[in-house]
Amino acid sequence: MQWLDAIIQGVLLGGMYAQYALGMALMFGVMRIVNIAHGDVMILLSLIVISLAGVLPLGNIGLIVVIVPIAVLLGWVLQKFILNKVVGADPLPSLIATFGLSIALQNLMLEVWSADTRSLPNSGIASASFEIGGIYLGVLPVLVLMCAVVLTGGLDAVLRYSRFGRGLRAAAADTEAAAMTGVDPKRIYAIATAIAVAILGLAAVFAALRATVSPSDGSAQLIYAFEAVIIGGMGSLWGAFLGAMVLGVAQAIGLRIDPGLGILFGHLVFLAVLATRPEGIMARKK
Amino acid sequence: MSSPILSTHALTGGYGDFQALFGIDLHLDKGEVISLIGANGAGKSTFLKSIFGLLPVAPDMVRFENAPVGGTPAHQMVRKGISMVPEGRRLFTGMSVEENMRVAIDNARMSEAEGPWSRERLFQLFPILKEKRRQPIENLSGGQQQMVAISRALLCQPKVLLCDEISLGLAPKVIREIYAVLPEISAAGTSIVLVEQDVTLAREASDRLYCMLEGRITLSGISQDISREAIASAYFGA
Amino acid sequence: MTQPFQHARVVRATPSSRIAMSLCVIVLVGLVTMPWWASSGNIRWAIELSCYLAIAQMWNLLAGYAGLVSVGQQAFIGVAGYMLFVLAQNFGLNPFVAVILSLIAPAVLAVPTYLLLRRLDGPYFAIGTWVVAEAVRLTTSNIDYLNAGAGLTLRVMTQYSQHEREIAFVLLCALLLVATIGGSYWLLRSRVGLALTAMRDNPIAAASQGVNVGQLRFLIFVAAAVGTGFAGAIYYMAQLRITPAAGFDPFWASMSIFIVMVGGIGAIEGAIVGALIYFFADRLFGEYGSAYLIVLGLLTLIIALYARGGVWGLLKKLGDHPWFPVQRKLVLEDKR
Repeated sequence: MQWLDAIIQGVLLGGMYAQYALGMALMFGVMRIVNIAHGDVMILLSLIVISLAGVLPLGNIGLIVVIVPIAVLLGWVLQKFILNKVVGADPLPSLIATFGLSIALQNLMLEVWSADTRSLPNSGIASASFEIGGIYLGVLPVLVLMCAVVLTGGLDAVLRYSRFGRGLRAAAADTEAAAMTGVDPKRIYAIATAIAVAILGLAAVFAALRATVSPSDGSAQLIYAFEAVIIGGMGSLWGAFLGAMVLGVAQAIGLRIDPGLGILFGHLVFLAVLATRPEGIMARKK
Repeated sequence: MSSPILSTHALTGGYGDFQALFGIDLHLDKGEVISLIGANGAGKSTFLKSIFGLLPVAPDMVRFENAPVGGTPAHQMVRKGISMVPEGRRLFTGMSVEENMRVAIDNARMSEAEGPWSRERLFQLFPILKEKRRQPIENLSGGQQQMVAISRALLCQPKVLLCDEISLGLAPKVIREIYAVLPEISAAGTSIVLVEQDVTLAREASDRLYCMLEGRITLSGISQDISREAIASAYFGA
Repeated sequence: MTQPFQHARVVRATPSSRIAMSLCVIVLVGLVTMPWWASSGNIRWAIELSCYLAIAQMWNLLAGYAGLVSVGQQAFIGVAGYMLFVLAQNFGLNPFVAVILSLIAPAVLAVPTYLLLRRLDGPYFAIGTWVVAEAVRLTTSNIDYLNAGAGLTLRVMTQYSQHEREIAFVLLCALLLVATIGGSYWLLRSRVGLALTAMRDNPIAAASQGVNVGQLRFLIFVAAAVGTGFAGAIYYMAQLRITPAAGFDPFWASMSIFIVMVGGIGAIEGAIVGALIYFFADRLFGEYGSAYLIVLGLLTLIIALYARGGVWGLLKKLGDHPWFPVQRKLVLEDKR
């Protein structure tokens, strides 16, 4: 029973990680860019949400409505002024550029918000829970998981069936050939980044509701997102989702064994997957 | 004959510091098929890329329907009415035959219903594609992939179609099958630029012919009037 | 060439490199004699700067030549440091001998790390190294033998006088610099160096020319781990204390990236220029804390966007005066 509980809590935790991983999977899928500042952007959005909640009488839904456009704007700025300049075959410039951005963002947040941990005021939803068969489930974590499922399914459908999705997959397969077929790669990149950061905006609200955030938390979020993407298999949104579940469960089980082992177990599962199935658990055969 | 639909004027270009083209003057009339022949490295592909906005050129070097269009990004060229079958096909891997076609339809100059080309018509032209429409592109043979590449370019509803070495690496039988479609494309009002290494093929399929050597045009004229000897000397620079 | 020439020599030294070489010798002599003329504070600075130089140059070798961008070099700093503390403190080995023995740890860690991570390309390799470093840090924090999160103290150092320690430290630092910077220079001038330069410019073309890219990358990765670990062991020996949070601090990676990118990636001179800039910037502006780090981060970003060659790349545009020339020049002499 204790282990079943650990697995369920792990799946719920995985819902959170899936939201972080989704944007990363999308951006890597099309631009082959790993944004090292991915986690820091999420933390920045969380801190903005918390500060907004302090001055504006918005409910949680209201906060989401306000933060998502801010996130889209942030994504656009990121794309326009940084990522567009470093897209290319050589991964070094984008890596270094976003690494520098990450350090700058982390310390900027330290200047503005100090090193204190913060969270959104408890509106009841964060502590509400219900019981099924002797296992207590938090309402908020269940909501986060459901949201992750809807986002993954929705984004997957967009990629499969929409005009934007086809253009994105075409640009991911061969950017120049896509341009020859009338796809504007820069526009596609900008939309993809905007969507990725918009999802982070949503995740930011949940993160601030669920736990505390502080300016230096971004690196950990980046690593979890990255681990989820690799565990699941690159280039697959449902893979990233599944990877996030595996990571969450590994961490929850580790945590049950010893409180110091939670995150370490996640890393070990990641390394084990890399050693035994480097293409990821969901990858298509080449 | 009115003014040409597509023309280049003293076009120069290349990759970065490396100049590959030295003043190319070429024109394509409406409804015409011209072919551009030359050995490997003569600058044929560089020329097509320069026309199509994939390599930087000055605006006046390329004119399309009497307007300077040199250097316009490729995706906007498609909107104006030029499309290209790239060398090596360059299809979108991980997507099905029909999805590859739909990317073109999504971004075409006019809708499938308005334009001359529809999936229906292309499936009549290449029946095998109808059969394989849901297959991932990787499962198709080279010739079938070339058919998809041509279909994809046509679904952009082009006024001018640029074909870069569409016979490369294909069996003679398949090449004949693909070249048999060109008259139908012409009949739909599309002008064609064929880049070829196979001189015989290029000569038979085109109205006029240009021969390129080391980034310059060394010969041009009516395809049927040019002798094999003239071509050979222009081709190899004897 | 229509006329046969009489003599051809391959020349590598340039006037600037002869000056640089002489300076290197002077600096090394100066460093080694420091205990007899410099204050303890200055010696501490020299140790720190030597470690920065070594760690940065090792990262430069990885990212600038082997195309392996790592943000997890702190793993090797930490394990070497811990191995030194365990050998010296728990096994009673002479700490100055233990420094050398502790290099086994980064080498042993580097082998499986590379074998696992080589499957990831470019950017994912980088984050992979970070995960390994985090995993090692968390493992260390959970081992009671290593005093878990509280870390270890090197009490055995008290058996030596301050002067004895300083002599040992400057000798170790000199050895560190010769091994990392001198070693890189030697490597880049050797046959391997040609292959490395070819690999930096185009790995696929290099492979087609018979360079075994995979094997070379592996060797560079292990060598860089050992060099980085060497610096880490010396650094924490001088600190007398190591904790998981400090020894495996990701800031070590940030520092390497900053130094090499600002100095100039793909050149030994770049790492040296960058280390000097960082060292003095840290002394001058370190007190501003996060504001200073914002500037460091933005500077790295701007360099990556607009001036990939860093400061050394800009200097090179003013005139090519290499300190460590690795290219060969053919000089034809007509001796009639």
